Amino acid sequence: MENNKITKKDLNRVFWRMQLLNVTNNYESMQAIGFLSSFVPILERLYGDKPKEQKVEAMKRHLKFFNSHVNSDALILGVAAAVEESTTEEEKETVVSVKTGLMGPLAGIGDSVLKFTWLPICGSIGASLALSGNFLGPILMFLLYNIVNVSSKYYGIHMGYEKGISLINGSETNILQRLTNMANIVGLMVVGGLIASSVKMKVALEFGAGENVILLQDLFDKVMPGLLSLLVTVAVYFILKKTNGKHAPLLILGTMIVCILLVTIGVL
Amino acid sequence: MITALLVAIWAGICAIDDIGTQMLRRPLLIAPIVGLMMGDLEAGLYIGATLEVMWMGVGNVGAYSAPDIISGTCIGTALGIASGGTEVAVALAVPTSLLAQQLLILYRSGIVALNPIAERMAETGDFKKIFRINFIPMAIAFLIRAVPTFIAIYFGATVIDTIVAALPANIMGGLNVAGKIIPAVGIGLLMLMMIKKADLWVFLIAGFALAVYLNLSVLAITLISLPLAFLYDLASQSKAVSNSMDDEEGELDL
Repeated sequence: MENNKITKKDLNRVFWRMQLLNVTNNYESMQAIGFLSSFVPILERLYGDKPKEQKVEAMKRHLKFFNSHVNSDALILGVAAAVEESTTEEEKETVVSVKTGLMGPLAGIGDSVLKFTWLPICGSIGASLALSGNFLGPILMFLLYNIVNVSSKYYGIHMGYEKGISLINGSETNILQRLTNMANIVGLMVVGGLIASSVKMKVALEFGAGENVILLQDLFDKVMPGLLSLLVTVAVYFILKKTNGKHAPLLILGTMIVCILLVTIGVL
Repeated sequence: MITALLVAIWAGICAIDDIGTQMLRRPLLIAPIVGLMMGDLEAGLYIGATLEVMWMGVGNVGAYSAPDIISGTCIGTALGIASGGTEVAVALAVPTSLLAQQLLILYRSGIVALNPIAERMAETGDFKKIFRINFIPMAIAFLIRAVPTFIAIYFGATVIDTIVAALPANIMGGLNVAGKIIPAVGIGLLMLMMIKKADLWVFLIAGFALAVYLNLSVLAITLISLPLAFLYDLASQSKAVSNSMDDEEGELDL
């Protein structure tokens, strides 16, 4: 049974294969095919000398519906490898339940840490450089984002395999939850800063005549700089909240039309 | 012709990256290359940065497909540079991304057909075969981004040029203003995902205040937020601990 132990090399092969995990993502089984095609090196190691029926069984087991965040998939691939290795043929139901148990919560963490926090941070640092014509902007963004993106996949697989089951029922989930909360706070402060730097709205209306013209914008600026940006963003947030974020594209088109109208009548 | 072909191929490469390695997939990383191909890197940088901020919170979340950022950026940037304006790029990027999103949904529903094929491959018990299933969808993904991009740029350039020239000034001015307000939608989407509890609003306001009163950059705000996040975590941890201690005392009273 010596040769049936999963090696570091197997896990690295999973890493290379999982680069294409999302290719077969479809509306029926989502990432199931991708999961199996990434997981094959593990199955080859564990089932290499097993009869054909068991091979078929193993492959079918990993073709069941599966969907998570691409970066979280790495961790789940690692855990699934550990569970596959430590269970006998009769206990294989555990593998499936571990996978389905992990995919929801981990997708949430992947989204909130990478997509909602790290990506906007990288994007806004890069964009502020690029807006001043500096070509280092996109390069910096690419490096910053992908160092985290790629290493989270690589270490995710290895960490998932080493920690195995303990990741689910141990204190580790608590740590992941805390990490999400912290990422949330960093993300929100960054978003607050982004409102100030990227949403710009100026009112062109003025009151009075002759020498005593009062620009409405000056009044707003005296209350708080960027007050209108904040108000518009909060208003958009509540509209999105009402519609569950489903009509964002319509909202963008709507903003364009409203802006054209307001510019035409001279408000903005 | 050759530029249109080049941009189309770039769109196709980004499409494969989008479903595969996911290392590009953002306007700021896509547009400068388009700019380079069109011979105007600076415009590419500027349009890329504008679209990046505008689409900050837009991206696939779960099963929901977002507007297609890749086609929108490629077509918008190329035609924007061709007819000379960031406003044109922004105005084009939004509708094209919405149209291309429909193709993407079609793609994801279409490749449902792969499921029975994968089942049959599993029946053979041959582990080596299953990886090959990736190549056909990759080719399709390349084509559904590259072909529309080519058509739009090759035939669209002159059309867009005439339309832009004929547009009244207030429409261009309105689009210009809209480009600076639209980021609110992306930011609103981010807030929607992140504000899970009402007391988290204070962090958003704090970040905003640091930016407007102290003119701090995003990186500076990120660094300042780290200790705050750490303290918040400590506070909620000790709360959890004292809660569990209360529970134990409660049991003793019984």
